[in-house]
Amino acid sequence: MILDLHAHSIKSDDGRAKVQNYCQWIKARSIPIDGFVLTEHRQFDNESDYSDLAAEFGVTILKASEVETEYGHVLVFGVTPALQASFDFGSINLALKDVIKACNAHGAVAAPCHPGRKRVGMSAHLEEYGVPQGVRIVEVFNGGSRDNEDEVAQRMATDLGYLGIGGSDAHIVSHIGRCATRFPGSIHNEAELVAALKAEQFEAVTFREGEA
Amino acid sequence: MSQELDIEAMKSQFLNEVFDVQHFVADAKALADYAAACGETAPQFTDPSHPDFQAPPTFASSFHAGRRMPENFPTLPGLGMDAGKAVQSIKPIRPGVTLTGKSHMHDIYTKTGRSGRMVFFVIRMEIFDESDTQLASADTSVVIRERPST
Amino acid sequence: MTISKISEVEFGETLPAFQPDTTMPNVRRFAKAAGWEGGRFTDHDHARKEGLPGALVPGIMSQGFLSAMIHHWAPAAQIKNVDTVFRAPVIVDQVYSISGVVTDIDLDSGRVEIDLTVTNEANETRVFGTAKVLLPI
Repeated sequence: MILDLHAHSIKSDDGRAKVQNYCQWIKARSIPIDGFVLTEHRQFDNESDYSDLAAEFGVTILKASEVETEYGHVLVFGVTPALQASFDFGSINLALKDVIKACNAHGAVAAPCHPGRKRVGMSAHLEEYGVPQGVRIVEVFNGGSRDNEDEVAQRMATDLGYLGIGGSDAHIVSHIGRCATRFPGSIHNEAELVAALKAEQFEAVTFREGEA
Repeated sequence: MSQELDIEAMKSQFLNEVFDVQHFVADAKALADYAAACGETAPQFTDPSHPDFQAPPTFASSFHAGRRMPENFPTLPGLGMDAGKAVQSIKPIRPGVTLTGKSHMHDIYTKTGRSGRMVFFVIRMEIFDESDTQLASADTSVVIRERPST
Repeated sequence: MTISKISEVEFGETLPAFQPDTTMPNVRRFAKAAGWEGGRFTDHDHARKEGLPGALVPGIMSQGFLSAMIHHWAPAAQIKNVDTVFRAPVIVDQVYSISGVVTDIDLDSGRVEIDLTVTNEANETRVFGTAKVLLPI
């Protein structure tokens, strides 16, 4: 099963895509993914229920979050009410160790995203803050990467022994599925996604032009 | 010491208050040049003699407010850059019509970007014709990169 | 092929390719017409002194390119909204491509939404956005 683990909808301040249109696009353009995870900036979308859309289009739609730490942006999978109560998702000054600690306590997974990017990527902060404890997974393919950002991410992952995931970081409809993550089994909900990530059997894939 | 702006205080003081009113008259030749430089080829945008000649639909984005920010707005650290523009076209803008642009601070928010914390200011100008009919609105998002805390 | 009414539009359709003219003479022509004649847009040396990689194509010109591309595709289109996010500078005298794809259609109202992207030669997104357009029913 292939899931795009990093996408934004109009729920994010800079997102311009409606979730229904993501589904339509995947089907109309035969995008080779089975679903996507909505990782809205600095929030978890508690209100939206996409189960009808998922059923209508035969696409898995899961929800997560993208939070902000001193090491840059971090995807958080497996968000629960208890996890939301444990730190302020809206803060832009979170400590990565606190996010990881909370995720570990509440059965979630934290994965730094676009880690090869300046300022908002983890690699840019290693010299200043050192290698953080508790990171196991980082995003090594990001659909919004420029220059050599993905190469930097992959090199860091190799050097530090991290596993790699992929996500499009789509903010508009037509960018969904540019990068994704392949899992060996089926995933139907957030708990199964967390279990699959913790099983550590997945690989990042890219469908960007010239890289597929 | 931190150089960070107090966002909540700025929002409560400045949001949704018109801080600038400007008048403009669009010149037909400038409109045609504007459209042609953008690659428009339809005569209603490029030929001032066309009976339906009008400004291209994104033209409202080009109007400058007299003041960039409200009076008494805090001094911003760093160079403001365009982060985005949104333009809404309601009715055509025609040459020779006196237009009134009223600007207000529509939103202020922060995020961390590739270069540290960034503060976004969304300034909305609403464009009206001589009969006070709204023709367009144009949002400009200006982003300021704050100096790091020391 | 151009579009004349909403029923001719297909979800996922790609608009005809559009190569914007970002050469300095054309940007200067635009800047003069728009009243945006600052050196940041019309002079590479001036822009570099401001710490920029070169003279910038004004964001409003990128919006104009996007709008022109839509009109080439659908001459009768009424463009109601163009919303652009500037992710990275668009530099004068560099080569860019503009693409547009249809991402939403409402046959009843004639409304179409289009994803718009400005990319450089490395296929990196510099500007993205969306447009809402009305077409004859």
